Amino acid sequence: MLIAANNNFLIPNGTFIVVLIAFILVLGFIGRSVVPYLNNLLTERQEQIRGELEAADRAKADAEEADAQRRAALEEARAHAREIVAQATLTAERTVTQAEGRAQEAADRIMQAADAEVAIARQAAVEEVTARVGEIVLAAAERVVGREIRAADHQDLIDEAIAAVRAETTSGAAAGAAGGRR
Amino acid sequence: MIGLGSHLLSAPLLASDISVGEHPQAKVLGLTVNVDIVWATIIAGLVVVALGMLLRSRATSGVPSKFQLLWELVVGAVQKQVDESIGPRGAKVVPLALTLFVFIFTCNLFVVLGIGSRFEFLPAPTSDINLPLAMALYVFVLTNAAAIRNRGVGGYVAHYLKQPFSPKLFPINLFMNGIEEIIKPLTLTLRLFGNLFAGGLMLSLLAALVIWRLGPVPVGGVLAIPLTIVWKLFDMAIGAIQAFIFALLTILYFDTAMAPEEAH
Repeated sequence: MLIAANNNFLIPNGTFIVVLIAFILVLGFIGRSVVPYLNNLLTERQEQIRGELEAADRAKADAEEADAQRRAALEEARAHAREIVAQATLTAERTVTQAEGRAQEAADRIMQAADAEVAIARQAAVEEVTARVGEIVLAAAERVVGREIRAADHQDLIDEAIAAVRAETTSGAAAGAAGGRR
Repeated sequence: MIGLGSHLLSAPLLASDISVGEHPQAKVLGLTVNVDIVWATIIAGLVVVALGMLLRSRATSGVPSKFQLLWELVVGAVQKQVDESIGPRGAKVVPLALTLFVFIFTCNLFVVLGIGSRFEFLPAPTSDINLPLAMALYVFVLTNAAAIRNRGVGGYVAHYLKQPFSPKLFPINLFMNGIEEIIKPLTLTLRLFGNLFAGGLMLSLLAALVIWRLGPVPVGGVLAIPLTIVWKLFDMAIGAIQAFIFALLTILYFDTAMAPEEAH
């Protein structure tokens, strides 16, 4: 062994004091600068994360509230729309009913007017025919008989013919009027 | 191994050829100082301080970098350990335990730089008795101070005399408690020093292996390199474990010192 008794490596020497001071200096640095610094950082980060989580919660609540509001507004709008549609349907039905009524009235009026006109025209035609039928019959008879026939002599025949014509036109007009109304 | 193969060695290697615990020394104010250990301790301290400065210059309360995460991981682990052992009263122990772990771990890593020569350029400061002893005595003084603050001087003395046996047997109590208390710094010192010292010694032995030749074949030289690599990896693990144990035992000693009297 090269080591002398007074240089035993288990016996501390002056190095002890120097390394003790070095260790205490390092301890001071860690204790004053590193540990509090890191703890501050960690606390700050916790605060930040807590703040962010709270903000997220708030945002979520806001979003939910906004969604609820939107749904409510939508529901209200739908109800309103339904109401409007119902009202419109009602109005339309009423209008249609009214229009139908008016149209019916107008049609009835027109039909009545037309019926009246037809009746008047028929009356006029019949009267004209009756006025002229005697003459025509006489003229025809004269040609057949070959001599003049006096109207007065045959008034009965003439009246009979006129009555026949009148009866025929009246029944025809009645049938025609029934067909037109149908 | 060396003894068994001695007849095969071209140049016999004697145990006395391997240096043990030698340091370049200087006299400062009448005290002998191991220059390489002082030098290495200062370097290790500067490394730790630099790591702390780097943290302060880079750290953010936002998303942390990997470097910052590493610091936070270590500090968080120390705080958790202190919290679980001592509770909230132990907050003051955190910086000491953290410094012990980081500083010892840094010192222990210096074994990787060793080449097994008589004087290393940068030996692990913990492979010399002075630094482990300094740290262990520092812890010893602080734990006893904490115990006196916790129990008062009377309570502190009573603690040595009144248990574990009846107070009537106070000499036996004092003896047992005294041994227990003195053992603490001794084991702290020798456990750390012994592990790191042995690591350096292993490197020296592995380096000396180079001399071993079988005829023209340099068996030792071929073996020395892989063995040294494996040993250094192993030694790094030892360094980490020893740093952890030193810090953990410090926390436990403070726990004992700061515990309420009735718990013991």
